Amino acid sequence: MESSKSSQFSPTAAGGPPFLELRGIHKRFAGVHALRGVSTSIEAGQIYHLMGENGCGKSTLIKIISGAQPADEGSILIGGKEVTALSPIGALSAGIETVYQDLSLLPNLSVAENISLTQQLVESGGKLARRIDRARLISTAVKALEAVNLPADPRFWSLAIEELPIATRQLVAIARAIATDAKLVIMDEPTSALTKREIDNLISVVGRLRANGVAVLFVTHKLDESKSIGGQFIIMRDGQKVMEGDIKDHSKSELSYWMTGRQLDVARYRRAERGADNLLTVNGLSRSQAFSNVSFSLAHGEILGVTGLLDSGRNELARALAGITPADGGTLMINGEAVALRRPIDAINAGIGYVPEDRLSEGLFLEKPIRTNIVVEILDRIKNRWGAIDETRSRNLSKDIAADLQIVAANLDNPVQSLSGGNQQRVLIGRGLMIKPKLFVLHGPTVGVDVGSKDTIFRIIQKLAADGMGVIIVSDDLPELLQNCDRIMVMSKGTIAKVFDAEHVDEDTLYHALVTDEPSRTLS
Amino acid sequence: MSDFTWGNSTSEGAAWPKRIVAWLVRHPPAFTLILIVLVSVIVGAISPEFWQISNIFDMARASVVTGMFGLGFLMILAAGGIDMSFTAIAALVMYWITTAVAAYMPSMPMPLILLMAAAGGTLLGVCNGLLVHYLRAPALIVTIGTQYVIRGFLLTFIGTELFVNVPTSIESFGKYELWQVETDSGSIAVLPAYVLVLVVAAIVTWWILNRTLMGRAIFAIGGNSSIAERLGYDLRKVHVFIFAYAGLLAGVAGMLHVSSNRLANPFDLSGSELGVIAAVVLGGARITGGSGTVIGTILGVILVTLVNNVLILAGIPSSWQTFVVGCFIILAGTVFASRERT
Repeated sequence: MESSKSSQFSPTAAGGPPFLELRGIHKRFAGVHALRGVSTSIEAGQIYHLMGENGCGKSTLIKIISGAQPADEGSILIGGKEVTALSPIGALSAGIETVYQDLSLLPNLSVAENISLTQQLVESGGKLARRIDRARLISTAVKALEAVNLPADPRFWSLAIEELPIATRQLVAIARAIATDAKLVIMDEPTSALTKREIDNLISVVGRLRANGVAVLFVTHKLDESKSIGGQFIIMRDGQKVMEGDIKDHSKSELSYWMTGRQLDVARYRRAERGADNLLTVNGLSRSQAFSNVSFSLAHGEILGVTGLLDSGRNELARALAGITPADGGTLMINGEAVALRRPIDAINAGIGYVPEDRLSEGLFLEKPIRTNIVVEILDRIKNRWGAIDETRSRNLSKDIAADLQIVAANLDNPVQSLSGGNQQRVLIGRGLMIKPKLFVLHGPTVGVDVGSKDTIFRIIQKLAADGMGVIIVSDDLPELLQNCDRIMVMSKGTIAKVFDAEHVDEDTLYHALVTDEPSRTLS
Repeated sequence: MSDFTWGNSTSEGAAWPKRIVAWLVRHPPAFTLILIVLVSVIVGAISPEFWQISNIFDMARASVVTGMFGLGFLMILAAGGIDMSFTAIAALVMYWITTAVAAYMPSMPMPLILLMAAAGGTLLGVCNGLLVHYLRAPALIVTIGTQYVIRGFLLTFIGTELFVNVPTSIESFGKYELWQVETDSGSIAVLPAYVLVLVVAAIVTWWILNRTLMGRAIFAIGGNSSIAERLGYDLRKVHVFIFAYAGLLAGVAGMLHVSSNRLANPFDLSGSELGVIAAVVLGGARITGGSGTVIGTILGVILVTLVNNVLILAGIPSSWQTFVVGCFIILAGTVFASRERT
């Protein structure tokens, strides 16, 4: 570990050894060969996109680089010197900073502490019986906050992380990387919870890091985004590196072919025609401080996209349709009948299926079996005459839906957390379908889902609509909306700003509609 | 351009009662202080004896042991754990050391006795910490277990009899006066010097929690232990430290208890755990861990002591004390819980 520490002071001149080199890394978990001889290198000041489907081994690779898990075979070289065992503290002192999807921020500590405590912990070598240098804690935090466009103001840095919106937390996590003088910043799907405007800000911050000679490694599913950022790509499949190169030299379909090993459709999925009469009529729907006077209608078999910035009210509208945070004004009619959605059960009874945005915290009972997760909304229907759950029916129903939705699971009695992201998402869709909904509200249906699973989910959505179900997709993934919807409704400041015909609009126009009318509360 | 937007509904243009509630939610100890002032004003209005100096000294004296327990409990709660064994540790340490000193070295000076109590408490605490860490079991369950083990050990092997021949050094330590005031009625009110032990413990606890890496590591683990571990905080060090520290305070608290009562009863202190937990929670610490302040804990202890000691002055039967404390806990729980919901 000592040797790795000294290496960060040796200049990495052009032609010298790369900042980080991996040679023949193998990793096995109880019978699963997760990494099969991965070799690659990371140069200072470059941007990398580590891509691959869920389960391809990219998360394991990140964990090895960040010292969270040891490799079984192979060697890791930092600045040309071999490091035998990399511990979390060892990786940090070598200048490798990982921003995991959960951002690794401590919710109850202040912004300043989250940014600069690591620096003092690393310097003490993990020893805790040390005084904190408060003045330095703050000066380091202030410098790092300025570098990521956040206010370097005591009113801000004394806030606890849990009081901040998710996009701001993302930037705080990057500020921490800057504060520890990182040489390599790894970001695990950094943009999955961000809106496009926030992503743009993130990208400009990344550009600045890179200009200072910091290497940035994105772990990502989003081809469009990676292409617009540019840089090197590393594609993994089945625990092996299958391809690497400059991302601008290859087309999206080439990249997704390497990721999935099969040819995918990148064209519009939507082909069916929508039905005639109205399924859903929403009139003047409002919820204080979220959205107001929202009116629209949806035909049978129609797919409506809803998008907007994080504070546009789109999320609140989706949750209101699911009865989670009910509307406090306006009316809602399904097939001409007024329904009041005060609780989630009201929405279920009215035939509204809902797939929540965050499947981990809002959707799934992670430790419970897959089939329990699937039937949890219809327990009333599958009880036997003693009021107990009929296990055979539960098993058969889940087996059918798993086959319909192509959920790949060894056994439906396994906990749902054993599945990959795409399969977990399909379990949630399956649960929504169990209530035989007339209207299906999908909130971010493909967040954190790989390209192959996305394709399957889109096909499912199209089939549901073709069978006459009304579908509402609430999402900030614009290509997804363009590929799937009939109409796209853009929300801004809690109202409907514009409605587009999805077939005759391009992404730029849509994006422009999204970001105009910026909220005016933004600081300088 | 900054990507952070200031202000939400609570800070701008909201009506003042709403703003005050919002401020209180962010500063829980202030809420505790308000309750203390409220109780004092009401009881003082009903019964002017409340403001007598002797009464105030009595409460200070009564706060010491609960306060020591509370500080130890705060340390563990801040890291997300719950300790149920501190009263058992205190009881074992106080009874064992008192009887042993009386039997073998009756002239042992008090500082040495306190040091022994501290060491004994620390040792038991370290056992707690190691068990919690290596069993990977909830601290609540582990410490309920050690509470029974320690109490069982005490009553089986050390003794069950009330011990009154307390060594003179322990007895005189409890009588040592910090401040003496002659009251109007001619009697003398005494503030014992051992309240200073609580003051010192509070300052040291505050310093550890706020000025050392260990303190921040404790809160880090209380916030999210798996993230803290990933960031390089050593969970084992923290687990051992917090339980050792709570054990130390409990051991010293046990000796102070003997000093002030001038007798050692092995059945004492047992059952006072919930009162201590109530005090810490009334001081604004979340029961789920990751928060809490020393000042809040001290205020919580004062509030509980106040209710336990003065309601009788206001003519309220003592059986109502628990009722009132219960209402305060529910009230505090409601106010503090709203901070998670906003």
